[in-house]
Amino acid sequence: MFFTLAISVASADAEHLVWSGLVIAENVPQPAPIPPELTTLEQTLKDLFGYNQFEVIGQSNKTLKTGEEDWLANSKYFGLHVDARGENDAGYTLNLKLYKENDVLLETDANLSKSSPLVIKGPQVGSGQLLLVLVVKDDEQAHRRRHAVLDCASMLGVRTTPVTR
Amino acid sequence: MKTFEEKWTAWLDGQLSDKELAEFEASLPDLEAAEAEKRDALRLGAFLKEQLAAQAMSNEEFFSHQLHQRIAHEREDRSRDRGTSTWWTIPRLVWSGAAALALFVITTVVLMSQHQPGEQSEYLTQILNSRVDPAANPNATIYIFESKNDNKVTVLWTEGLQSLPADYAAK
Repeated sequence: MFFTLAISVASADAEHLVWSGLVIAENVPQPAPIPPELTTLEQTLKDLFGYNQFEVIGQSNKTLKTGEEDWLANSKYFGLHVDARGENDAGYTLNLKLYKENDVLLETDANLSKSSPLVIKGPQVGSGQLLLVLVVKDDEQAHRRRHAVLDCASMLGVRTTPVTR
Repeated sequence: MKTFEEKWTAWLDGQLSDKELAEFEASLPDLEAAEAEKRDALRLGAFLKEQLAAQAMSNEEFFSHQLHQRIAHEREDRSRDRGTSTWWTIPRLVWSGAAALALFVITTVVLMSQHQPGEQSEYLTQILNSRVDPAANPNATIYIFESKNDNKVTVLWTEGLQSLPADYAAK
């Protein structure tokens, strides 16, 4: 029997994960390896800020489903509050607030593109620099779920038709 | 004055009048032998007539055969012509080329309209607005730019923010 099972696979638009990080950039004699979340940006960060070490002091991974979620990336003294205010063709409209304890140091509104990370240079901290980094990634868990469904369908001999939104 | 041979021929053919017939038959030395010769001549004439008719028939068949050959040849030519002519006649080639070109142009226009060069900025992160607390950071300034490499990083660059002690770098 040959039939088509339509599986609603949410498109890349709806299954993105936003990584938000508070990063301290410093020049040290023996720099630690760059955190995996920043690997793709390593050279860009080094070129831009001139530091040789980038340490994540606070981070958050948030999967956006509606595009209107909000979340917080915290370190001991800083907090980055991200308020997603909708999705558009270019990415997500975000309101960002950088807190130092209870004070708002910086506030910005941005359209965060799925293909263009955002780096914000924050205040000087000791000999280093606070950076805020936001990157949109594909949600790997969602990918895995999707592949698991497709593999299962394949094992059952069912032809699947992806439906994008 | 008719010669003997003329009279003989006319006698064989039965063309002599009664008077001439009587005179000619009277002049013959042996009428019976002449009659026998006449019968033989008539038989021969009938035979020849028959043979000539048959020959005419064979000519007709030959002509018919020739006609059939010609018709068959013409049919063969026609079928050969039909066989060698392909679907790709010149007008059809021209129309096919024009149709392919039109399809190419339409596809190109559609694709280009979907990817306008001016829309490239949509794929970069855009800073809509940004502010710092002017009381705490009276000299703060903000710059926005994009990295020049392939990462397409959008950078919000602040200057003049109040520096903080190293303790604030704690996790």
